[in-house]
Amino acid sequence: MDDLERLYKTHYAAVVRFLYRKIWDADRAEDLAQEVFIRAMAHRPEKPRAWIFAVAANLARDEARAAIRRKKHLTLLKDDPIPLSTPEPSAEDSVEREERWARVTGALAALTERDRDVLLLWDAGLSYPEIAAQTGLAVGAVGTTLARARKRLIEAHDRMDYQAGAAHS
Amino acid sequence: MTEWITRPARHIPEDELHAYLDQALSRSQCAEIETHLSTCRACQAQRASVAALRDRTTALLSGLSPRPVIVPPSYLTLRERHSHRLAVALWRARIKRSSLWAAAVVAAVGSGWVARSVMDPHRLPLVTVPLAQASAPAPIASAPAPRDVAAELERQAIPVPIPERRTSFAVRQAGMGARSSQAVVPAPRLQLASLVIPAAYSPSAEKSSINPPAAANLRPFNRIWRAVSWEEALQIAGSGLPYIEGLTVVGVLLQPGGPGERPTVIVAQQDQSGEIIQSIEGPIAKVSELLQRQGTAEMHASEAARTPPDYVESPGGGVRRTLRNLIVTGRLPVDSLNALARMAAIR
Repeated sequence: MDDLERLYKTHYAAVVRFLYRKIWDADRAEDLAQEVFIRAMAHRPEKPRAWIFAVAANLARDEARAAIRRKKHLTLLKDDPIPLSTPEPSAEDSVEREERWARVTGALAALTERDRDVLLLWDAGLSYPEIAAQTGLAVGAVGTTLARARKRLIEAHDRMDYQAGAAHS
Repeated sequence: MTEWITRPARHIPEDELHAYLDQALSRSQCAEIETHLSTCRACQAQRASVAALRDRTTALLSGLSPRPVIVPPSYLTLRERHSHRLAVALWRARIKRSSLWAAAVVAAVGSGWVARSVMDPHRLPLVTVPLAQASAPAPIASAPAPRDVAAELERQAIPVPIPERRTSFAVRQAGMGARSSQAVVPAPRLQLASLVIPAAYSPSAEKSSINPPAAANLRPFNRIWRAVSWEEALQIAGSGLPYIEGLTVVGVLLQPGGPGERPTVIVAQQDQSGEIIQSIEGPIAKVSELLQRQGTAEMHASEAARTPPDYVESPGGGVRRTLRNLIVTGRLPVDSLNALARMAAIR
């Protein structure tokens, strides 16, 4: 088993999640994740993990541009976030789950693009230097950005939670 | 009397606490933070708050997953898709090259035809032949042409060059005589000598006495290179022939080894785009020597892959092991050559 195959087995799910949180299309996220690893086979990058997420981010950006051209509504690029596809909920908690889903995606959309990128890269398992290399930040600034992104995500989520509760009552 | 002022130690900034919990700090920084945390209640509370924030973020993001369990498809499937894509790219390059070549031939034939019509003082009047149809039996526009005009056109018609169909080396050898009378354009000539083998050691130089190789130059290659057929090479080299599955073999060069050594072999194969790819297999020193002598800058080489070594009896008794390498060279990018080298098998 070569390094790339090992990386594929350990990081495929993380790449799919990373792409999904950017394009909100589960099937397309899986297609793009496979595309990323096929490209890695051709390029054999020196730092495969960072390279894979950099290519995934570029593919997600291209996908978002293509979606704009097709006049689709993308959660991260619109004021009113409407996910393109959500995981199929079970019958009993579908409404609650959809609301929770909308709150989290809305909170994520409330972040600036840089904060969101840093947060998603960190959640995908990249180290601070890898995140810095990909986003162009200094390594020391990654912690600051991450602290701000976490705080804003939770604040936005709680605000939406409160508004939803007030609306229900 | 000196009054000592005790300054409170600096509290840990929040972003440092985030980095500390994300394990992104050096050991010394961690030790410094832990020392401070052991004594500072405010920072302990701050640490707990940051940890809670961090955990909540992780929990929220974990809900944003396309499926509860993501199972990667087989890596083999991905590899097959990669190989297929490589093959398609090569095929497209071949098509592009072929169409350029065909366009060039049509342009050359057409311009030749026009030049001939213009320059020939005895050219036939009132007969126009479209360039694209220059090679076909000439269609006469409207009025029926006189018989001698048709005969003249037939005489002038240049046969259309038919691209040579690439066949295996053995078939090509067998059909060489029969094809000689046909009007064909030769395939890109294999210039093994200019690519890897110094002129002094090329098979043509072997037969020629114009430039006898200097004795000093011969030292590293004191055996003669021979161009042999694939079947002959199989007989001589046994199982030591490098071969890339799916590519047409267009030539084999072979240099016999010493007693107990397998020969050094260069197998030239042609891919779908017409590019010549050479697999060189032999003792490490010899393969490196060949690569260094490789002339043009546009030639690239793959990474060396180890092949089974030779075991040679040394004069003083005992057995000496000679390591051998396989390298694939060509005008393709190094990545492609590496991929081909992985596909290359020793026959």
